[in-house]
Amino acid sequence: MATQSLTKPTFSIYYLSERAVTIDFGQQIAEHLLDAISDFNALLHQHPFAGFCTTVPAYATLTVFFDPLAVIKSAMPGAGCFEKISGYLTNLNQQKKKSIKTIGTTVTIPVCYGGAFGPDLEELAHLHQLGITDVVKLHTSVIYTVYMIGFVPGFAYLGDMDERLATPRKAAPRPVIPAGSVGIAGQQTGVYPLQTPGGWQIIGQTPLKLFDATKLQPSLLKAGDKVVFKPINLKEFNQLASG
Amino acid sequence: MQIRIVKPGLLSTIQDMGRDLYLSQAVPVSGAMDSLSARIANKAVGNTDNEAVIEFTYADAEFIAETDLLIAYAGDGAILKVVDQKLPPERPIYIPAGTNIKLTNNPTGSRTYMAIAGGWDLPDVLGSKSTFITAGFGGLEGRSLKAGDQLTNIDKLSSIAQKIFDNLNAEHINYPNWSIPRQLLLPADRKSIRVVAANEFDWFDKQSIVDFFTIPYVIGQRSNRMGYHLEGAIINRVKKDELLSTAVTPGTIQITGNGSMVLLMADCQITGGYPRIAQVAAVDMPLCAQLKPGDAIYFKQINRDEAEMLYLERERDLQRLTTAVQYKFL
Repeated sequence: MATQSLTKPTFSIYYLSERAVTIDFGQQIAEHLLDAISDFNALLHQHPFAGFCTTVPAYATLTVFFDPLAVIKSAMPGAGCFEKISGYLTNLNQQKKKSIKTIGTTVTIPVCYGGAFGPDLEELAHLHQLGITDVVKLHTSVIYTVYMIGFVPGFAYLGDMDERLATPRKAAPRPVIPAGSVGIAGQQTGVYPLQTPGGWQIIGQTPLKLFDATKLQPSLLKAGDKVVFKPINLKEFNQLASG
Repeated sequence: MQIRIVKPGLLSTIQDMGRDLYLSQAVPVSGAMDSLSARIANKAVGNTDNEAVIEFTYADAEFIAETDLLIAYAGDGAILKVVDQKLPPERPIYIPAGTNIKLTNNPTGSRTYMAIAGGWDLPDVLGSKSTFITAGFGGLEGRSLKAGDQLTNIDKLSSIAQKIFDNLNAEHINYPNWSIPRQLLLPADRKSIRVVAANEFDWFDKQSIVDFFTIPYVIGQRSNRMGYHLEGAIINRVKKDELLSTAVTPGTIQITGNGSMVLLMADCQITGGYPRIAQVAAVDMPLCAQLKPGDAIYFKQINRDEAEMLYLERERDLQRLTTAVQYKFL
C-alpha cells in the first residue's frame, strides 16, 4: 500500500475567473497550511508556466492569475486554460521538486499605546478587568504570524492574539481612523495601513508606514512574516515619525 | 498636446488597464471600469491599449484644448460637443488649439473614456497610471481631476498615431468617416449579464438560485468603482459555514450576511470572506461598467469553457481592430 507523504500538500483547484484559478488547501486557519501555501507559492514562482502573472495567498488558498492568451497558446496539455493550469499545478505539487525555502522575516512594530493614539485602550482594559499595563503586556508578549495581506493595501491579518484581549468591534464604526492605528476586532489584531473608516477597537499607533506606494515592495509585511509589537512612549514616537 | 480641465464633472480619473503585480500586497487592480471602451479610444488614436485615458462619470464636464489635439472617445456616459457640433465617438478627432469641448448627457450609460495620441503623460505607480483614490496614489496625484488641472500627452507618438495626426491636421475640427464599431463587439441585449457559477454556488437554496436567474436585480444607490449593491430577491443559504477570506476579483458576486448581493468592480478589495454565488463573464464587465443606479439586469448562466471562449474571441476581435486601424493609414 502506498504511504502518503506528509510533506506533500493535498489540494483542490477551482475556477475564479477567466484569468484566475484558486487552489484550496483545506478550510482552516493553521500554521502548517500557511507553510504549505508559502512553499507551493515559492515553488510556482521558481517554476512558472507560460502566461503566469501573479499569486494571492490567503488563509487556506493560493490564487493564481494568468494571461489566457499566453496560456491557450502554450504546449501544456488540456483543451482550455483551466485544464491546462490545473494539470500543471497538480503535477508541480506531485513532483518532489524542492522549493528554495522563503524565510519569513520578523518585523518589530513600535507602538505608542493609549492616549490620543489609543482612544479605546482604557475601555477595553476595563471590559476585561485588566490594567492598562496588562493589556499592553499581553499585546506585546506574542510573536504574531502574518497569515495574509488583504482588506486594504498592506493590511496584515495576524494570528495568535492572546484570547484575553478578544473584543467585539465597536457598535458604530469611526468615520476616520488614522494610518498606523493598532486595533483589535474579535480574535484579531492588526494595523491600519491607510486612513480609513473602521470599527476596530483602537489601542495604539505606530509611526511606521505599513504601506508606501513609492517603494518597490510597498507593503512592509508579507504572508509568512512574524510580527512583534514593542511599546514606545510619545517622545520615541515623535522621533521615529520625524526620522 | 495639452488640455485644461474647466469642469471635472462628477468623477473624472486617469485609468489604464490597471495593476495586477501587487495583488498579494492587497493593492487592487483598478483601471478603466469599461476596459473595452478605453481600449477602443486608444486604438482609434493609434495607441497601445494600455495607455492612460480619462474616465469621465456621466456628463457635465468641460475642457479646453490648449494646443492642437488628436483625441478619441468611447463609452456611454456622455457625448462630446463643441458648441452645437456633436463629435462622433470611436474614431480619431483632430481639434485645433483654443477649442472648448463639453460633455453632454448620454442617458444610455455612465462612463466615457477619452484617449489622446501618445497617451496621457503621468508617472507609473506600482506599474500603472491608474488612479486608486482610497489609498491616494496613481493618476494625477492619486485624486480625481479638478478644475484647472492641465494634462499633457506623451510626446513620442507611435508611427500610426503620427500618421493619423498628419492625415487629419487641418484648420478646423476634422475626423474620418469610419469608426471602430464597438456595438458590434457587444451583445444586443445589454441587460442580460452572463455569469459562471462560483465556488460557493451550492451554498444557497434552490429557490434562491431560481430567483437569481429569473428575477431582475436593480443597481443600488450605493454603487461606485469598488462595487455595486444589487437589489432584488434575498439569497438564502443552506450551508452556513464561515468562508475563510480568500481572493476575489472584479466581477465576483458576493452574498453578504443579510442575503443581499454585491458585484465587485475595478477598485474592489483583493480578498473577501462572503460566499460567492457567481462570477460575471469578463466580456460582460464593460456592460456592467455602464450601469447606473436604478438600472435592472438579469443573470444568465454559462459554463467556464464558454466564458473562456468568449474572452479569447473578444481578444482576437480587438487584435483585428488594431490591424484594421493600421490599414486605414498605410
